[in-house]
Amino acid sequence: MQQKLGHECGQYLAEAALTNSSIWVLDGDLADSDGAEEFAKLHPARFISSGIAEQAMVSIAAGMASCGCRPWAFSFASFLCYRAYDQIRVGVSQTKLPVTLVGAYAGGCGGRNGKTHLALNDLSIMTTLPNIHVWAPADRDDVRFAVESILDESAPAYMRLPRLPQQIVPGEPGRIRWIGAPSEIAIVAYGASTHWAVDAQALLRSKGIDIGILHFLKVWPISSADVKNFLGDVKYAFVVEDHYTIGGLVDLLRHAGFKGQLEGIGWLSTWGGQSGSDADLTAFAKLRPSDLASRILSFYQQTGADQRPTVCVSQT
Amino acid sequence: MGVNMYRNNDLLKEAHAVRSAIIDALFKAGGGHYGGAMSVTDILLALYRGIIVPAQSAASRDRVILSKGHAAIALYAVLKHVGILHNIDLGRYGTFNGGLEGHPDMTVTAGVDFSTGSLGQGVAAGLGMAFACGPQSHIWVIVGDGECQEGQIWEAALIASRYSVSNLHVIIDNNGAQEVGWSYSPVVEQRPLVDIEAKWQSFGWVTATVDGHDYAALLESYHWAQSSRSPSLIVAKTTKGKGLLSAERDPAKFHCVTLTAEEHQMLMGELNAAEIRA
Repeated sequence: MQQKLGHECGQYLAEAALTNSSIWVLDGDLADSDGAEEFAKLHPARFISSGIAEQAMVSIAAGMASCGCRPWAFSFASFLCYRAYDQIRVGVSQTKLPVTLVGAYAGGCGGRNGKTHLALNDLSIMTTLPNIHVWAPADRDDVRFAVESILDESAPAYMRLPRLPQQIVPGEPGRIRWIGAPSEIAIVAYGASTHWAVDAQALLRSKGIDIGILHFLKVWPISSADVKNFLGDVKYAFVVEDHYTIGGLVDLLRHAGFKGQLEGIGWLSTWGGQSGSDADLTAFAKLRPSDLASRILSFYQQTGADQRPTVCVSQT
Repeated sequence: MGVNMYRNNDLLKEAHAVRSAIIDALFKAGGGHYGGAMSVTDILLALYRGIIVPAQSAASRDRVILSKGHAAIALYAVLKHVGILHNIDLGRYGTFNGGLEGHPDMTVTAGVDFSTGSLGQGVAAGLGMAFACGPQSHIWVIVGDGECQEGQIWEAALIASRYSVSNLHVIIDNNGAQEVGWSYSPVVEQRPLVDIEAKWQSFGWVTATVDGHDYAALLESYHWAQSSRSPSLIVAKTTKGKGLLSAERDPAKFHCVTLTAEEHQMLMGELNAAEIRA
């Protein structure tokens, strides 16, 4: 049975902390929901609950990092990124201290919680702060890869995680990777939206269209070399976002120098969020796999694009 | 190194040199926070002369956070005076690539233990240091009385007492004034923070109030804090603009101001006169 990705993160951190004494975990009184409890069970002496005080939690983590520790601060993405934004800006981004922020319940699917608990523009505000590496795992293998990579590096990091447990995405984890054959017309996705894309990909295959998905586990920074290596031969990309398209990956790709055509598909920027099941919310926003497949299919029909796979993109 | 190493007169002479350097630097910079820099100078000098050991290893050394980062020039002047900052021209304060940012920047200036400037964050950062370094290190955080209006201060105060973090010490530069305050609402309380000790005590801290310009009292309070079993607060009663008669008389003007050459000379004269009186 799959568990929430925050719990996967907590477990991997707990394992890593067996041999890495610099790891601490902080939590803003959501450890049972955001997964920090997995660490607390094994390492209570290196687990600090700030209580419901995200601003203090982030600054505490920064102070720890300034003394050589590797603190990971867990909460919901909304409370981390919005409530503690100035603390992240001053104590983490500007100082370049290796604090990792783990934001659970990111994106538009917050279940019953509704709009106050959603993070629909967190990528926008976190990627526009200097020095912060942003990760968006789609499954537990991605989480492990991200945890190991973050610990290998020494930089501020933000990991956004979807609310619900996620199935395994095909293939081996990597920073950026293709799911299916690389193609000139492609889907680009991350986190939960990669699952929507994978299901859309299967629907399109049943209609004779083979389209590759470029999955971004690490959403930011994206270098010009990344654009060349992974997107060099992509002419048209549907960027599927669990985020507003304004300030989302579609804008980040433009900023990184992608010269092909981009079409962002995400949550409506006029929508503040609401309660509901993932199925109801994605139906409302036309983000269901069937909606994505329909949009892509109509693109092929309108443009007369070649529906065969076009294996053409080099990977590194 | 402790209180016995310095007689009050020794540090008063040093304080005069530090204050003179601050005034000179602020004038060269085109202005700045005279009032808060003057009020915090003695707190910092007593700390760096009586408590902080510069050559200690990173693992065990004490750390200082000037959470009221707008008084950065006072920190820089003290760091230079005690020899922690080398080859730095205080006259380049706040200039491009001058090595002394307008607010303390740990990525730019050696000896700055944490970056500040956005008020209210230093106590929590110090708490993180206190957790990380353990009881062998004492963490000293200097905040303004006005700064205590920031909610994050109280978040951190609650967490520190919950975990009984006894190596965290907060010093309030209680100079009784802030930039604007409630000067347009004269019927409401004018002081930045009232009932200070009671507030912090109710958050689980042990507290003491001292004269923030009396070196013996300051050093005694620092030693008291070091021996505390709870997070400790020192309310240092200070005078905004201390040592500069004009600034003491008009703290609102001298909160942050640009001076003419004549005004600068006048302040230097006032500082010298204050030393003679002392």
